[in-house]
Formats: sequence, C-alpha cells, structure tokens
Amino acid sequence: MKIELLVSDWCQSCHQAEKIWREVVEEKDVEFAVLDMSQPEGKALVSQLRLKTIPALVIDGELKGIGVQSLAEARSLVEAAPSKAKSDMQHAGISLSTDNRYFAIASMIYLMLSGMGLIINGALLSDGPARPVALHLFTVGFVLSLIYALGAHMLPRFTGNPIQMGKWPWAQMGLLHLGLLGYVAGYLVGLHVIIVAGGVFIWLSLFVFSLRIWPVLWPKASNNDSKIIDLVSQ
Amino acid sequence: MHKRNRIFITISLIYGMLGGLIALTRLIDPNLIPGNVPRAHGHIMLLGFFLMFIYGVGLHVLPRFSGFPLYSERMANWQLYSANAGLPIMVAGWLAMINWLVLIGGIVSYAAIVMFGVNMLLTVKAKGPGR
Repeated sequence: MKIELLVSDWCQSCHQAEKIWREVVEEKDVEFAVLDMSQPEGKALVSQLRLKTIPALVIDGELKGIGVQSLAEARSLVEAAPSKAKSDMQHAGISLSTDNRYFAIASMIYLMLSGMGLIINGALLSDGPARPVALHLFTVGFVLSLIYALGAHMLPRFTGNPIQMGKWPWAQMGLLHLGLLGYVAGYLVGLHVIIVAGGVFIWLSLFVFSLRIWPVLWPKASNNDSKIIDLVSQ
Repeated sequence: MHKRNRIFITISLIYGMLGGLIALTRLIDPNLIPGNVPRAHGHIMLLGFFLMFIYGVGLHVLPRFSGFPLYSERMANWQLYSANAGLPIMVAGWLAMINWLVLIGGIVSYAAIVMFGVNMLLTVKAKGPGR
C-alpha cells in the first residue's frame, strides 16, 4: 500500500495531518511519502489529481481524503495493510522532535553562556586559563548541539531514511551535558580527572550521534520498510 | 541525497571522533602525541568536522532552497578531494612540525573553501530570466 500526503510548510493543519499519519505508518507496513506541493513531486501529484486543497491524502494513486483525518479514521484507511514490527527506527517529520527541540534550546543557552566572555573579558576567548572553557562552551555547547538538533532532523528528511530514536537521543543528550559541564567544572576547580571524564563523555555523545546518523546516510539494502520520500530527499 | 554529500557528512563524523580522540589522548598524556596537538585538534574539529558537515548539508540544501540546480557538480567533487587531501597534510605538518607541509595543506584546504564558496555563489545568485 502506498500512501502519499500532500502538504506545505506554511499550512498549519498539514503539520497535524503529518503527525497523525506518521503515527499510523509506524504501526503499519506501508510505503509513505510526504510531498510538498511546491516541489516537483508534489506539483506532479497536484496536476495529476487536479488537487486544490491541502493536506490531501492519496492512497495507491487515488484521492482518499482532504483535510486532517482523526487517528481512528487514518487507522481505518490502512486497516488492510500488514502490521509492522516494533523498532526504534523512526522517520523525521516536518516539525522538530522533542529531543531535537531540547538540543536546539541547549544550543542557544550555551551560546549565551559562552558569549558572556564578551562582557567579562572584552573578547569571546580570553588568553587566561579559562580560555578552553569559553571555547568549548561555544564549539561543543553551541555548535555541536545545533548540529545534533539540525542533523538529526534534516538528514532523515533529506535521505528519506529513518533514524534511531527511543533511548538513544536521550543518551546522546545526557552524555553531552554531563561531559561539557564536567569539562567546564573541571577547568574551573582545577581537577584534571574531571576534565578528562568530561572529554570522554562529550566524545561518547558524538559516537552515539554518529551511530544514529550512519544508517540514515548508508541504509542497509534490505531496509525497504515504510519508505518515506520527503520534499527535499530527491 | 547525492552520494558525494553523504560522503562529506560521513567523513565529518569520522573527523569529529578522530579529533576528539586526539584531544583526549593529549589530556591523558601530553607527551604521547608529538607536535602541535592543540592546533591539530582545533583544525580537525573546525575544518574536518564542522566545515565538512556544512559542506555536505549545504551542497544539498542551498540549491534546493534557492530553487536551482547546483552550478557545478564537478567543482563539488573536486571540493571533496581537495578538502580531504588538504586537512591530513596540514595535520601531518603540525604533528611533524614541518611548516611547509602545513602551508601546502592550508593551500589545498583553502582551494576547497573557495570552490564551495564560488559554487554556492553561482548557484544561489539571482541572474537572468527566471532568476
């Protein structure tokens, strides 16, 4: 069964429709495509079915619904499709997932913390012993957190492949914060062992992120379950 | 997503972990790796991890968001080769404390930066009818 949901980023109800359908396709073994009406694939569908309203639901090439279906309605439309085995692998939606929102929020907080050097020292990075603190609050806290947030959101959408969710993003987040705060505290109190432990935790968070991103970039050839094609994946 | 862009992102993750390991090794035993380790770590993270991640994502999204195809696929391919030739040469130069090697690596890395910059400018730039 092939389900196509025609949406647009500016359409508020499309986000709701996509959220419901993503929940349903996690339960059923179906092919699911989210198409933006401004992109070539979406335009082709609009032209083919002469659609005038979004969100529009197309199942196996036939228009099956306009607007937002309830969860029960959506489930009944795919009733015939076989159930899917439970997995931590999930597709990304239009909106940021909760973990990615927290990574983005953390990134901004670390940016403001690292920027305090401008007031304290008159420069982002001082030449004093606290230099590694400001440097890593900026690079690890701000830049790396932002890469985590955007990478885990965009790369599954660009490739159309699912990403490892469940406990993994939270482990990555815990390791990052524990590591960075440990690293900073270690420098501020002058405890080398805490600095090293902080560095190890930061590295482990990057390792977890890499493990999550790897199958997004290089999926197994046999992985053809519930393929999602996004507007920017082509 | 184009294979080259996926390679950029994959290599960026590898550089990220490698750069982190070098820093950790330095923290544990400052004498284990010779040469200018902090500078090598800094450039592996900035040019290897952050910039290559941006290369991979940027080459994918900027043409799409601007609504036009990438100006030159060939230039982007050479950017990949150049970025990945320049950085190891630079790092080798710092670890071996050979300045001319650092300079060569820097020039090759900069060539990749220029190729990316020019390619993006010509992709995003509005010119002619329909642009």
